[in-house]
Amino acid sequence: MDAFTSLLYGFSIALEPINLFYVFIGVFAGTIIGMLPGLGPISALALMIPITFGMAPSSGLILMAGVYYGAIFGGSTSSILLNAPGVAGTVATSFDGYPMAQQGKAGKALAIAAYASFIGGTVSIIGLMLIAPALSKVAVSFGPAEYFALMILGLTAVVSLSDKSLVKGLMAAVFGMMVSIMGMDLQTGTERYTFGTIELLDGIDFLIVALGIFALAEVFYMLLKGGRQNTSQRNVIGSLRLTRSEVKEMAAPVGRSSVLGFFTGVLPGAGATIGSFLGYSLEKRIAKDADTFGKGNIKGVAAPEAANNAACGGSFVPLLTLGVPGSGTTAVLLGALLVMGVTPGPMLMEQRPDVFWGVIASMYIGNLFLLVLNLPLIPLIAKVLDTPRPILLALILIFCMVGVFGLNFSRYDLLFLLGFGLIGLAMRLYGFPAAPLILGMILGALMEESMRRALQISGGDWGVFIDKPISLTLLLLAALSLGLPLIKRAFKWGKTRRLSQQP
Amino acid sequence: MTRLCLTALKRLSVLSLTAVALAGTLVTTSAAADEWQPTRPVSYIAPANPGGGWDTLIRTTANVIRKEGLADQNFAAINIPGGGGAVAWAQIARDSRNDHMLFAASPPIILVPLAGTSRFNHRDFQPVARLITDYSIVLVKADSPYQTANELFEAIRENPGLSVAGGSAAGSMDHISIAGAAAAYGLNAASVNYIAFSGGGEAMTALLGGHVAAVITGAGEASSQLQGGQLRALAVSSPERIAGSLEHVPTYLEQDIDYTFDIWRGIMAPKDMSPAAVSYYENLYQRMMETDSWKEATARLGWLDAYQTSDEFGEFLDAQLEQFSSVLSDLGMLR
Repeated sequence: MDAFTSLLYGFSIALEPINLFYVFIGVFAGTIIGMLPGLGPISALALMIPITFGMAPSSGLILMAGVYYGAIFGGSTSSILLNAPGVAGTVATSFDGYPMAQQGKAGKALAIAAYASFIGGTVSIIGLMLIAPALSKVAVSFGPAEYFALMILGLTAVVSLSDKSLVKGLMAAVFGMMVSIMGMDLQTGTERYTFGTIELLDGIDFLIVALGIFALAEVFYMLLKGGRQNTSQRNVIGSLRLTRSEVKEMAAPVGRSSVLGFFTGVLPGAGATIGSFLGYSLEKRIAKDADTFGKGNIKGVAAPEAANNAACGGSFVPLLTLGVPGSGTTAVLLGALLVMGVTPGPMLMEQRPDVFWGVIASMYIGNLFLLVLNLPLIPLIAKVLDTPRPILLALILIFCMVGVFGLNFSRYDLLFLLGFGLIGLAMRLYGFPAAPLILGMILGALMEESMRRALQISGGDWGVFIDKPISLTLLLLAALSLGLPLIKRAFKWGKTRRLSQQP
Repeated sequence: MTRLCLTALKRLSVLSLTAVALAGTLVTTSAAADEWQPTRPVSYIAPANPGGGWDTLIRTTANVIRKEGLADQNFAAINIPGGGGAVAWAQIARDSRNDHMLFAASPPIILVPLAGTSRFNHRDFQPVARLITDYSIVLVKADSPYQTANELFEAIRENPGLSVAGGSAAGSMDHISIAGAAAAYGLNAASVNYIAFSGGGEAMTALLGGHVAAVITGAGEASSQLQGGQLRALAVSSPERIAGSLEHVPTYLEQDIDYTFDIWRGIMAPKDMSPAAVSYYENLYQRMMETDSWKEATARLGWLDAYQTSDEFGEFLDAQLEQFSSVLSDLGMLR
């Protein structure tokens, strides 16, 4: 069977009324869960395992996959409206989405997020359908050395994410990396920064840091600014419509980020969060109007949204073709499939084509549902901004606390949330950018682990990082991205000197 | 007001129960143990997040017990994640004598305290029953030069840099399993270059990509990957071959390596649970494992029945402690 007839077969399964119903329920539940800050797809999926017990495996996976990509789709809403990322993958969306909302362009930001998510999602499904088996080879070609090089490349984005002061950006990034290695070290079992408490043995969850640094810090900041802010103009939602030039402006970034996000998603351990950051920083770096990023640039919303949805689709590649879960969420999916008696792996496509192609076909339908479902809802949801400020702030606090408590049911996590809220406030008051901290946090631990793994395998030989072609290429790219601005500046400087020397 | 009433009612019911129990004792002492019944929902704890091995055990057994109507009270699944189990253990240890609390346990309850990150070990709890077991399995790529476990260990003797990946931290289950096997072969346990990945999936990807020489993982997890023909299994840690899709995989024992390793899972309770309650639960699980729902679930999940009563389980745990401490001390990881 070639991909086309297989896909038709898949649609014949996905279009069965019961499965259509499951797709709808899945994406609907996913969007809602994604919108609520802190509540992520993992806990939602875990709760669904018992529900899927009696279902046909294809229906069960269709439902659960819907929850997963629905959550990533919906997560952008609270990032944009409240500066409180709904899921980890949508942190980068708040960088430009929230400023847009503050400028009265919430409707437009949400619409851009919806369109970009739809395109990113669709691109990744096409990729999944056409080249999944070939891509599984890409996924396995990434060993520890390659991951390390990729993380280094990702970390060079600190330069573009630090607005004014590079030093402050670097400080924030290092702090983020320190937070990321808290807990028990995998390679030696040593405890780091745990202060002897068992609550810190697993480190601090990324979402706690993100919600503290963004949402809580924003609440505190507004409280500090108090009276003055209240008199500011009433929040307006603004039009949803995009102009022709805006569409044109976004097209290329969405395309690039979709592809980039998809490939990041294919790599086990990378996923939507890293994908969205890579997409955002790539666009910021190559944009002519880079200085408006972080202040409400539409490309800054479109790029991470396309990337995180594409990464979500990409993460199904190792799951379905290798039987290897690339993230916590797909690990739960794998567990659920095993419970239903399906073992994903190299043989899945032949043994259970109904599961493989049924899910892929259902993703096309699900993405369409999401777009149709979300666009009309935007004006309604954006009304949140009309809520009187005292109530809105209280609501943000409640949502963040409920979401964080739901992660591990731990009171300590609430204290950490408060702590990071205060740290975030201090950073804002003293002009430290928050994005590099988040970047350091998501890349730091993986970079360190990969480096040590690579060196442990090579017997301590540092040559391992440059002997491998993929790793070498990525490291060269990293060096280039750091060096290029310097070369450019030197070139410019030379030019202006020559000009000024002319009489 | 309602609250007061409730408390009073609860007291009453406890009183009447005691009366019944007393009456039982009067009639015949041996029957008394069977009289105990849970009087409220049982807190059924998985010391981890949803989705993992402990969680699956808790939810599956709770389901079977409900479906087969084995208990009048609900077994309410609760997740207490953190510290690889340590957070939950600390909470359960504070609740001794509670007859309405059970939790899922497996080798980490011995390993984590040995590594020094939990103050509580299996002796601080009451074993109830061992239920199932899985075994660990050594995998290489299909094009690897190693055909047997002996060849792999011989290669490790010649080249201690040879990397074996696993999906858990250094000093935890996967590491102990392969280091113990190496020691049984006659190598120093520490000579295995164990590379810790943050999940079995990532370790498997590293093997498929040829970044490591071998992977140690659970036999249940490995069966799907073996189907694809990209991997070869060198040895499984069971005493006899596992029936089903892993039938062709030889044990260590067959290869003259005197070694078995159980990835057991069982149920434990707070310390000083009343003997009557322990025997009630012990009995309940024994009956549960005879039901069709249970057989259907184990077949689906690739679990192998390995029931032990409370006493046998306790002795088994002590033996495990000895085995693990000796491997960990060879590795220099005993704290």
